[in-house]
Amino acid sequence: MATDIIIPSDLWEGDEESVITAWLASDGATVAEGALIAEIMTAKVQNEIAAPASGKLSILKEQEAVVVKGDVIGRIG
Amino acid sequence: MQPSKETLGWMYRTMVTSRRYENAIEKIYLEGKTPVFNMARGPIPGEMHLSNGQEPVAVGVCAHLKPEDIVTATHRPHHQAIAKGVDLDRMTAEIFGKATGLSGGRGGHMHLFDADVNFACSGIIAQGMGPAVGGALSRKMQGKPGVAVAFIGESAVNQGAFHEAMNLAAVWKLPMVCVVEDNSWGISVAKRTSTSVEHNHVRAASYGIPGHYVSGNDPWKIYEVAGEAIARARAGEGPTLIEAETFRLAGHFMGDTEGYRPKGEKDALVARDPIPAMRARLEADGTFTADELDALETEAAATVDAAIRFARESADPKPEDALTAVFA
Amino acid sequence: MENERKLTIARAMAEAVAQEMRADPSVFVMGEDIADLGGIYGNTRGLLAEFGKERIRDTPISETAFIGAAVGAAQDGMRPVVELMFVDFFGVCFDAIYNLMAKNIYFSGGNFKVPMVLMASTGGGYSDGGQHSQCVYGTFAHLPGMKVVCPSNAYDAKGLMTAAIRDDSPVVYMFHKGLQGMGWLGTEPGANVHVPEEAYEVEIGKAAVVREGRDLTIVSLGQGVHHALKAAKTLEADGISAEVVDLRSLVPLDRETVLTSVAKTGRLIVVDEDYHSYGVTGEIIATVAEHDLAALKAPPRRIAFPDVPIPFARIMEQYCLPNPDKIVAAAREICPAGAPAA
Repeated sequence: MATDIIIPSDLWEGDEESVITAWLASDGATVAEGALIAEIMTAKVQNEIAAPASGKLSILKEQEAVVVKGDVIGRIG
Repeated sequence: MQPSKETLGWMYRTMVTSRRYENAIEKIYLEGKTPVFNMARGPIPGEMHLSNGQEPVAVGVCAHLKPEDIVTATHRPHHQAIAKGVDLDRMTAEIFGKATGLSGGRGGHMHLFDADVNFACSGIIAQGMGPAVGGALSRKMQGKPGVAVAFIGESAVNQGAFHEAMNLAAVWKLPMVCVVEDNSWGISVAKRTSTSVEHNHVRAASYGIPGHYVSGNDPWKIYEVAGEAIARARAGEGPTLIEAETFRLAGHFMGDTEGYRPKGEKDALVARDPIPAMRARLEADGTFTADELDALETEAAATVDAAIRFARESADPKPEDALTAVFA
Repeated sequence: MENERKLTIARAMAEAVAQEMRADPSVFVMGEDIADLGGIYGNTRGLLAEFGKERIRDTPISETAFIGAAVGAAQDGMRPVVELMFVDFFGVCFDAIYNLMAKNIYFSGGNFKVPMVLMASTGGGYSDGGQHSQCVYGTFAHLPGMKVVCPSNAYDAKGLMTAAIRDDSPVVYMFHKGLQGMGWLGTEPGANVHVPEEAYEVEIGKAAVVREGRDLTIVSLGQGVHHALKAAKTLEADGISAEVVDLRSLVPLDRETVLTSVAKTGRLIVVDEDYHSYGVTGEIIATVAEHDLAALKAPPRRIAFPDVPIPFARIMEQYCLPNPDKIVAAAREICPAGAPAA
C-alpha cells in the first residue's frame, strides 16, 4: 500500500507557502525510510523532508512547485 | 555643542525619511520574491541591506557636513546617502536598476556614487577607508576645504584596510573621521566572538589619535561627539575614531532568517527604536509641537513616495549600456 | 536506481568535509559564518554540531590573517579547509594566496607541504553587482602553484572536495553560487545528482565528457556546463550532435580530453562566465591551435562575459552572461545544419 509524502503541519511556523527547492531522489528511484528525499524552503528557511517509508518513489509535485502544509508531494510504494 | 532647533528638525525629518524609505524598499524588494525567495526576481533583484535602527549615526554625523565634504559608506548605505543629501530620485532609480539611476543601473544598491555631494559606497568590508583617506589628502594638498568621513561597521575594524588607513591618516594628519557603526553583528558572528576588545575606540591609541565610544544610539550624543571630531579635522588637527553603538532592526540582508540572534533581542530593540524616542523627547522638551512633527513626517513621506514613483516610472537601461562607461 | 540518493552541491561539499574530518583529526575549517550558520551557501551545514568550535571556527572579517594562518597551519601538520565567502574578496588577501600558499612548496624545494583547501563562491546572474558576482577563474588558474577545481554537479563536488583535502598541495575549490541548491539563488536541477554515501575521490586534473557528440565540442566549467547541455539538446533537433566537455579542473588542465574531442568533431565553442580576455576561453583555444590547428573545420568561438565590470541591472547583466541561446546561435554559425558524421 502506498504511503503519501505529506508536508508536515509542524515543519515551520505560520501558514506561508513553501517551495520544493530540490528532490533528492528521482521519480521511480528506490528510497529507504528515513532518508532525506526533498528540501523545501519557506520564504527564508530550508527544511528537510524524509521518506516516510521504504519503496519506489513517485513524484507528484516537481521541483520549484509551491506547496502548503498538508500537500501530498509524492508517494512511496 | 548642541544642535539648533533647525538642525534638530532636519535630523528628525531625515531619520523619518530614511526609515520610511527602508520600509518602502523592503516591501518593493519582496515583490516577486514570494512564495519562492529567489533573489533574482522582482523589481529590485539582488541583495538588500537595510539600515532600520541605524539612522541616528547617519544624521548625527552628516548634520555637520556640507556637500563638499566627502563620505564613503558600505553595503548598508541608504541612511547615510539620504543624510548626505544624495539625489533621492536618482538613488532610487539606481536601486531599481533604471537608466535614470546614479550610474544608469550599473552599480545598484551597494554601489551608489553621487559626485554632486561627494558620496560613494562599496561592498567590500572596510575598503572605503582608503578612498576616504585619499579624499582628505587631496583636499589638504589642494588647499581646498572639506573633511572626509568613512562609515564602517564594527566587524570591519578587524580588516587590515582599517589599520593601514587609520595609521596613514594619523601619520599625515589628514582631515578625516572614521565612524564605526557598532550594531554588534557581522552577519551571524557577534562582536564579542570576533573582536579582541569590547569597544573599538580604544584602538585609536594605536594611532595616537582621539577615540570615542558613543552609547545609546542617541542622535544628540552622536551629534556632539561627531561635531568635535569634524571640527578637529577642519582645524587641521588630524583624524578621529568614533564608535557609535547602534542596532539593526532588520536582518543582515533581506532573506536573513536571523536564527543566530538570541530570542527576545529583536523585540527589546524595537522597544528602543530611536525614531519614536526622538519624537518623544522633542515634544517633551517643547522643541517642536506634535503638529510640527506631523508636518515633518508628512514631508518625509512625500519625498519617499516621489522618489519611488520616479524610479518605477523610469525606463530600463538598454542592454548594451552594460558595455559603456568602463573607461573615462 | 536502487537506493538513489541525490544531494545538492551544498550538501555534497559538507558531507565530504565531514567524512574527511572523521577520518583525520588534522582537518579543520575556518571562515566567516561557517559555524553556527553552516555557511551562507550551506556548505558547512552540520559540521559545528558534530565537530565543535575547536575544529569549526568562525573568524573575524580578517581574510589576510586567517588565510595566512591556514598557510602556516598547513605547513605545520594541519589540513585546513578555509572559506573565502565570495571569490571577489580575494583582493583583500591575495598575497597570502598567490605569494605564500601557492609558492611555499616551490620556495622550499618541496620540503614544505601546503595541504590546504581554499573554497570560494563564484558566479552571478542574480543581480549582486560587480563586487559579488565574479568568477575570476582565469586569475586563479593563471598564477602558478595552486590547483584549481570547479564542480558542476554534486557527485563531482563531493569527490573533488575529498581529493582536495587529501592533496598535499593547495587546492582552490571554486563553487558556483547558482549550483549550490540554495533556493534563494535559484535552482539548477541538473546539479543535484546521485552521490554515493561512502567517501570517494574525483581525480583533480581530469575533465569529463558529459555528453558525447560528433559535430561540435563545447567546453565549459561550472554553470557553463549546464548551459552547454541545454544548448546541446536544442541543437539535436537541428541535427547537430554536440559533445560537452566538463573541465572540472583548471589546474592541472586536462588538455588531452579537449584535444581528443576536437580531433573528433573539428568544431569548438568554449563557454566561460569569467571575463572574455586573458582567461579560460583563450587558454582552451590556444591549446587546440598550438597542438592541432588542422583539426579545426571552422574558427573556434568563445562565449564569455565581456570585459566590463558586472552591471547590477538585470537587463544588462543577463545581456552579458553566457546562456544556452548564445551557444546555440554560435553553433548554428559554425556547423552546417544536419551535418552527417564525418
